[in-house]
Amino acid sequence: MDGHEVDIRMEALLKVFKEETREIVALKEFSLDVGDGEFVCLLGPSGCGKTTVLRIVAGLETKSGGRVTVSGVEVEGAGSNRGVVFQEFALFPWRTVRKNIEFGLEVKKIPPHEREAVSSTFIDLVNLEGFENAHPHQLSGGMKQRVGIARALANDPAVLLMDEPFGALDAQTRNLMQKELLRIWSATRKTILFVTHSVDEAVFLADRIVVMTARPGKVKRIIPVALPRPRERTSSEFISIRGEVLEELDAEFAKTMMREMTDASVQHKA
Amino acid sequence: MLSLVKLVKGAIALNWRQLLLGALSLAIFVSAWQMYSWYLNANVSGYAAYVPYPGEVAEAFVDSFVTPAGTDGLVMSDHIIASLKRIFMGFVIALSIAVPAGLLMGSYITAEGLGMPIVEIFRPIPPLAWIPLFLVVLGYLKGPAAIVFLGIFFPILFNVILGVKRVDPILIDAAKTLGSKKRHLFLKVVLPYTTPYLMTGIKVGLGIGWMCIVAAEMVGKYGGGVGFYIWDRSDIGQWDYVFAGIAMIAILGILTTGVASQVERRLYAWMGMK
Ligand SMILES: Nc1ncnc2c1ncn2[C@@H]1O[C@H](COP(=O)(O)OP(=O)(O)O)[C@@H](O)[C@H]1O
Ligand SMILES: [Mg+2]
Repeated sequence: MDGHEVDIRMEALLKVFKEETREIVALKEFSLDVGDGEFVCLLGPSGCGKTTVLRIVAGLETKSGGRVTVSGVEVEGAGSNRGVVFQEFALFPWRTVRKNIEFGLEVKKIPPHEREAVSSTFIDLVNLEGFENAHPHQLSGGMKQRVGIARALANDPAVLLMDEPFGALDAQTRNLMQKELLRIWSATRKTILFVTHSVDEAVFLADRIVVMTARPGKVKRIIPVALPRPRERTSSEFISIRGEVLEELDAEFAKTMMREMTDASVQHKA
Repeated sequence: MLSLVKLVKGAIALNWRQLLLGALSLAIFVSAWQMYSWYLNANVSGYAAYVPYPGEVAEAFVDSFVTPAGTDGLVMSDHIIASLKRIFMGFVIALSIAVPAGLLMGSYITAEGLGMPIVEIFRPIPPLAWIPLFLVVLGYLKGPAAIVFLGIFFPILFNVILGVKRVDPILIDAAKTLGSKKRHLFLKVVLPYTTPYLMTGIKVGLGIGWMCIVAAEMVGKYGGGVGFYIWDRSDIGQWDYVFAGIAMIAILGILTTGVASQVERRLYAWMGMK
């Protein structure tokens, strides 16, 4: 953690989803510290509990056990000190770009002229000048997520929680948005917890990559990425770290696959 | 007022092709009608009096605005105003009860559990079944308005409930992470999300409202109204004036839903939907 202060502390998180006929243990003994200003990527096979971790930190999901603190304060429900960027963008369709970005400021009762000054700053930061009065349905996916990022940042949160924010974008846009996010991160120095299932994305972005086990999810291994930015995807260092991460993941993918197959056969017999 | 004129203009603004086809369709209809009247008259049919020529109806239509009736001294515009008053009363009351009720029933399972059985009892009853009771108890202005209220109430209620239930949970999540408390979630997410559904309810409700008003007014003995006018003229066998009244209802219905559609479209555009 390079001697940074701890910003997000997750201790022995447990999450059990109770369904009618069965209980799903999504997380068990999940512990992780994220340093102030650090960029951490959560990586793992689908269904391993990445979203659950993020939603618990965001306060959108209750935990069944363990502790979460953000900036030393225990998490109790959602709050504006933790900004969230959603894969589905989650923009308010009836609000313009500017009004979407000002949502949190309105809630905080910031007066209109101040709101406008703040939203203008973030519109500039995410390069959306000229689209202030557009509605979300008029924007491309990449632009929508720019709004999503600006909206989260306008509230000046301590941490930014991002759940596969570029998952819905095409490959070109995705690469561009990764570069943009790094630019924005270095301009704002927010702590970022970023969920992805793309190894390439994680190696390109992260200070540290946290590989999770298959369900129930816990930390399998933490791989630091000590490469200077901007990173070259074709460099030998990049490729070697990618290989290392992939190896860790492959075992977990195999486990997930095995379970899905046995689940299917159990259902088949029933 | 100016914006209302604009709305009406927008409602009837069609492209040329549609306009041409519309004129053709109307011409076919009027010719068929004209020929049917000819046929009845030529055969000295007893029904001829009931099917006046299109020209006669047009004349009666114009005359209904000009010549006051011998009985009550009212002209068509008086009847239109009387009907609009009732529609407006019924509409405003329906709106002011159905919207809060729908918001509550959509938001809280308890409210829905309490409200739904009552709603389900009254919903299958045609509003017109209440005419005798309402006319006696509420009189000839408020009685038909109450019938209209029943016609408009349910479409608005059900659409608002539907809107509240369809609110995208991820928008609620997003609003929460932006610092929203319950009150903000309601005012800044649930309410705007439900607005287009409300507009649909209003549009459907107004259509039903026009159906209700005619029937309710027909039973009325005074107080005017286009429905009353139709009944009154049939009593004295002025069938060309009866048809003029029916045409008036059609025009008013088309205008009302046309304006509602325009408002809806503008609202959607303004809210960035579609
Ligand atoms: N609301 C829920 N109810 C029941 N099970 C859930 C719920 N949310 C997630 N799960 C289960 O918890 C596990 C972890 O889900 P999630 O955190 O979404 O995984 P990931 O984001 O890594 O794909 C999955 O097996 C999923 O089916
Ligand atoms: Mg997920």
